[in-house]
Amino acid sequence: MNPSSRAVVVTLAVVVFALCSLAPVAYLLAVALADLDPAGLWLDARQRQLLWNTGLLGVGTATLATVIGAPLGVALAHVTLPLRSFLRLALAMPLLLPPYVVALVWTYLCGGRGVIASLAGRDVLSGWTYSLPAAILVLSLVYYPLSMLVTEVALRRIDGRLEEAAVVSAPPLLVLRRITLPLAAPGVLAAALVIFVLSVSEFGVPGLLRVRVYTTEVFTAFAALYDSSRAMLLAVPLLLVCLIVAFVAVALAGERLVSTRRGHGTRPVLLEGWRVPAAVAAILAVGLSLGVPLTVLVREALSVGSLSAVVEGSGRAISNSLVLAAIGATAVVAVALWLGYARARSSGCLGRLADVLFVVAFAVPSTIVGVGLIGIWNRPGLVGTVYGTDVMLILGYLARFVPVAALAIAAVTRYVPVSQEEAAAVGGAGWLRTMTRIVVPQIRLGLLTAWIIAFVLAFGELGVSILVAPPGEATLPIRIYTIIANTPPSHVAVLALLQTAVVLSPLAVLALALPLRASAGARRVSTAAGAREAR
Amino acid sequence: MALSVQGRLGRHFAILLALSWVVGCQSSERPERMVTIYVSTDRVFSEPVLREYEKRTGVRVNAVYDTEETKSTGLANRLLAEQARPLADVFWSNEPVRTLVLKARGVLAPYRSPSAEGIPPALVDPEGYWTGFSARIRVIAYNTTLVKPEDAPHSVFDLADPKWQGQVAMADPRFGSTSFHVAALYAMAGDEKMDDFFRRLKANGVRIVDGNSVVRDLVARGEVKVGLTDTDDVNVAIEDGQPVAMVLPDATGLGVPVMPNMASLVANGPRPEEGRSLIDYLLSSDVERQLAHSDAVQIPLHAGVPGPKNIPAIDSFEPMTLDFTRAAGRVEDVTGRLAGILGL
Repeated sequence: MNPSSRAVVVTLAVVVFALCSLAPVAYLLAVALADLDPAGLWLDARQRQLLWNTGLLGVGTATLATVIGAPLGVALAHVTLPLRSFLRLALAMPLLLPPYVVALVWTYLCGGRGVIASLAGRDVLSGWTYSLPAAILVLSLVYYPLSMLVTEVALRRIDGRLEEAAVVSAPPLLVLRRITLPLAAPGVLAAALVIFVLSVSEFGVPGLLRVRVYTTEVFTAFAALYDSSRAMLLAVPLLLVCLIVAFVAVALAGERLVSTRRGHGTRPVLLEGWRVPAAVAAILAVGLSLGVPLTVLVREALSVGSLSAVVEGSGRAISNSLVLAAIGATAVVAVALWLGYARARSSGCLGRLADVLFVVAFAVPSTIVGVGLIGIWNRPGLVGTVYGTDVMLILGYLARFVPVAALAIAAVTRYVPVSQEEAAAVGGAGWLRTMTRIVVPQIRLGLLTAWIIAFVLAFGELGVSILVAPPGEATLPIRIYTIIANTPPSHVAVLALLQTAVVLSPLAVLALALPLRASAGARRVSTAAGAREAR
Repeated sequence: MALSVQGRLGRHFAILLALSWVVGCQSSERPERMVTIYVSTDRVFSEPVLREYEKRTGVRVNAVYDTEETKSTGLANRLLAEQARPLADVFWSNEPVRTLVLKARGVLAPYRSPSAEGIPPALVDPEGYWTGFSARIRVIAYNTTLVKPEDAPHSVFDLADPKWQGQVAMADPRFGSTSFHVAALYAMAGDEKMDDFFRRLKANGVRIVDGNSVVRDLVARGEVKVGLTDTDDVNVAIEDGQPVAMVLPDATGLGVPVMPNMASLVANGPRPEEGRSLIDYLLSSDVERQLAHSDAVQIPLHAGVPGPKNIPAIDSFEPMTLDFTRAAGRVEDVTGRLAGILGL
């Protein structure tokens, strides 16, 4: 191994992460501390209640999304489902729906005069429509694909021979419970953490469903009082909650580094008897999380007089969003790959601290990131030439999404045995060559997943974008959210469908095309590994 | 082989950098004559005005539009963050609070536009930091299938009547035009009366929702019978054929709450001349006519400009006589009070 090239690359990635993700927060924190009012640091009873509500929302959503997503991930990895690629795509699609729009659909369905009330002839649900459980359900239906995708990737990284050996003497469900799931647990837990952070950062859905959460306090300091220092200080308890949850999760996951090798045999059939129930569950999940919202949106959209009048002028915003999100996701993965690798190869306190840092960095409210980025980049001289250009949006994506991508990549990189790198080093391969020929090919599915997650998040990003987008330019979410303020629900439905369709198109092509290539590549890797072993 | 792998990586990275550069430089390819405006007035209403200005003058308008108050933290924060090196030349606000906060923080510069002639003096800043034009009104919207016109509430204070138990909606009073409205009520009626009103409103089961458009939709769907919102929101529902009508509240008593748009020059903006020209245009009768006859149904402030259909002219009712600066100065205190009283 060549420690110098490894040190240079990882250090570069750390510097980019520090500059993009940590510096804006540090800048704003420094400004806030300069005019610190210690009294403002104490939360009153109302704020403590709001923080409790936020914790419940985060834990509830992370739990429910995992309960829905993880079994679906297991099914996709271990059950021969019909039309699996198509089903995976359909199951992942709810992640593309803006959470606010899903909540809006929920109110159309379950409100006092909603579809269900019309069918039932009376208001049966509205007491529950606007409530914390409803917010948890809505967010879980949007975020469960994260858990599902990460679980599937984690399961596919497990050496099938372990399960083959176990299934000789134990029933499949026991093998699943004692061998497969514990090995996949770090990935599943990482996904749950990400969902927790996404949920506690959300204020649109709780606001619409009248759930009072702490995030609104931070938002209020910005939007009502125009006080970024107070907002920064108010964000500290929220970040502390994320810190505590991250510590708990890291303590639970521990350092379960998998020291097995990727097998070249097939995975044993563990759950073939579950084919029908798994298919039914998957179809139900698609129906509930995708079919129902799309049906309601299409029903609303059909009442629009002229589709072209609604979407007119969106062409440039669409192309901007696609190009910027693609570049952003690529840049995010390019940085996160090295951070994730470094995390996966770190153990003890340093590694756990890195996990916690990623989670907390991801939890920083987007407006704080945006205002911090302006403070750093909007200044005279060379640095200022970047401000006012689209590069600021890329920096915003890096700031917000490198931490989550690094977590995801670290989770899959753990499944690549260190011994393979050691063997390559003994054989004389340099570190970069080992990375590109041994590590990266084995985590390519994880990299693709991280890229897709970063692309979807970047495509839908609003909080930072609206603060740093160059004047005269707009991404699609900016255009949509600036239009819907005074637009009939039918127009909102058309715009939501437009956003979903636009983000789906490139992903559908990727999702349908890449598994074939990935499996072909995997076969080549397996064959090569087999040949080496044979030698 | 190692070289080729690294070469491939390097090539991919170079392509990425080149793409970033191309995208980054898109926005630097700008024509000579341009102006940058930050707009908090709804895009569907403001964009046609700015496009018309481009058509008439050939000056490119780079606009940054705002979202509804509860969807993002808004452009006022961007203006504050950019204060040391502004990108914007003009700020067009759809309500007074943001403008007055920005004035107090030194973000704005004075400019007395010749187009302001004919606008009522009460709606023009004596120091020249802002000029009002094309006003909206805070109104009580009601569902016409559930409420007869003669039964509709005629004062904001009627909404605390037990008759409307569980049937009232309003937007979160910490944000947007609702924050201006409640701050104005506190400034006009006093803390004691308003605290009591909001306690009774809370006891009456008021639904606090996340935007004026949501209030409109709840009323239109009949989930509540009445709600506090803005004229433009109600008009969208009326034009969409929804069973909604509006009442101008407190026409007798405190007066009808009127909110003008406000145009302001940004201090140290990159193109002050172009900024002044754009402000002159925004304050013109032509723009007031355009906004009056659009779905924004905004009330012209210049005498002689025909008003929107279904909305009374500004001189046909008693507007709230309000010191905007005083009202804006109450926002922080009122925000804190209402968070406690309404349990926000």
